[in-house]
Amino acid sequence: MRRKAVEIINFTKKFGDFTAVEDLNLDIYENEIFGLLGPNGSGKTTTLLTIATVYKPTSGDIYVYGHSVTREDYEVRKLVGIAFQEPKAMWIDKAIDLLTWHARIVGYPREEAKRVVREVMELLGLWEHRNKYFYQLSGGTRKKVELAKVLIQKPRIAILDEPTAQVDVLSKHALWDVIKKLRSEGTTVIIATNDMFEAERVCERIAIIYRGKLRALGTISELKDSVPKGDIIEIQVQEELRDREALRELEVFGRVSVNSDMITIYSDKAEEKVVDVIDALRKRGLQVKRIMVKEPSLDDVFTYLTGAKLRE
Amino acid sequence: MSRLKTILLVATWDLMKLRNQKVFVAMRLAWFTVQVLVFARAISYIVTRTVENYTGGVEYYYFYILGVYTTLLYSTSIARGYMVAEEFDDGIVEYHLSLPVKRSTLAIGRVLGGGVSTLIFTLPMMIIVYTVLRVRDPVIVAISLASALVFSAGVVSLVILLVFTIKSTDLTDIIVGAIDALLVRLSTVFYPLPVIASTGIAPYYVAATLNPISHMSDFLRILVFPEYYLVAPYGPLASILYLVGFSMGLLLLAIEFYEKKLETGGWR
Repeated sequence: MRRKAVEIINFTKKFGDFTAVEDLNLDIYENEIFGLLGPNGSGKTTTLLTIATVYKPTSGDIYVYGHSVTREDYEVRKLVGIAFQEPKAMWIDKAIDLLTWHARIVGYPREEAKRVVREVMELLGLWEHRNKYFYQLSGGTRKKVELAKVLIQKPRIAILDEPTAQVDVLSKHALWDVIKKLRSEGTTVIIATNDMFEAERVCERIAIIYRGKLRALGTISELKDSVPKGDIIEIQVQEELRDREALRELEVFGRVSVNSDMITIYSDKAEEKVVDVIDALRKRGLQVKRIMVKEPSLDDVFTYLTGAKLRE
Repeated sequence: MSRLKTILLVATWDLMKLRNQKVFVAMRLAWFTVQVLVFARAISYIVTRTVENYTGGVEYYYFYILGVYTTLLYSTSIARGYMVAEEFDDGIVEYHLSLPVKRSTLAIGRVLGGGVSTLIFTLPMMIIVYTVLRVRDPVIVAISLASALVFSAGVVSLVILLVFTIKSTDLTDIIVGAIDALLVRLSTVFYPLPVIASTGIAPYYVAATLNPISHMSDFLRILVFPEYYLVAPYGPLASILYLVGFSMGLLLLAIEFYEKKLETGGWR
């Protein structure tokens, strides 16, 4: 049985009259890359900041390796490192000063701190920016400084709040590799994102949160399968389909639409049905020119579950 | 890592900021020098010699510049607090709260860091004042520095408590500004306590007597000019005990606040 790294039990967080998160229940397992997916203002950051003990739950509790965030906050903080959504620095700060201070405060001796800071800054392409003031850095570089804090700390649980927002495409891929490497070194990674491509690319399990409530939880394929008739089988045949009987036969696989030589079938678990579809067409003497199976995107899943788009 | 080492490391956060403010420190020093060498002289000429009856014979110029130094110490400590408000605004408080550090350690470290950085910031000004006053006794200098640190730590604790309670940049400006104006004016930084007593305004006298700024400035005066003790209603021991009590009390409140109440969010 997989060990729980984080256990969220009936967690509710209110700010005055506003309920940011309502009755959230969730388990995050050791050494997985877990994604919290939802649009801005859905409660992702509030949940992450409470795991990091920055916020206190209004009701319910969160346990990190069995330690309560309300009663054993210091024990929790020893296990958790966080890269914030907005980089945390003032305009007069220099990246190297911030990271060296961070390394010292998380426990590195002076010389070791210098070494590890340089190593991480070089890994993230920050070394050349080390003596620049924070206001001189681009948004993407600032985000990298934020991520560098976690890489220096090497916590048992790394919380990354929109780690690649404002980062250019090339750097995004590099950062995703860094995140996966962090996990391979034994860290449990929790990522909040509203980037479905990032979620698909990096996360193993995902919780979809919308308006403070958990809407779905599972692996990416489980979530995609949760959309009824969400898979699409697109078939291009040699000639236009005029055979009504053949059409009726295809309808057993799902809803069918025909446009000239293109047949589209909306179905569940399309990958399991595609062979039968081809067989049915061949029996009717139809030559298949091209066939393509498309899954619903996470955006489709989100829309199906909430009626909203991820980027509202 | 030992707790003391962690406290010292947290304190270096404020010192790191100070290092990046060299131009600001230089400008402040230049202004202070003009204030002490030009304006303070001018004001002292306006004040009649009879005021020396109220200062135990200490020349008003000397009385005044120790007051000016205390005011600077106070306003610099307040400015450290403003920096914490700015950090709150920028979300740095969230970062600090997420660090693997006990909240009480964080509170003590921030207060110590604010106090020490105030001391370093105002050290050149103290050197100017003590040079003008021809203070050469290292014991007096050491006691002055220690008392300045205690006083500054108290003011930093006060402002941190206010900032975290108010959670609003605008309201912090108004309230801290009002407290700043009141505390400085209702103190003995510019007027000796016997002069305040002679006005016959009892609340003014009581406020000045209870004011930590009065105790700080009068403690320095007695330290440098023991004859001032003749007119001071409280002795140096009472003043230093008052200052220690003021700082420790506020520090304990700040620790309690960090441990029990403090969370970010809701900043306006």
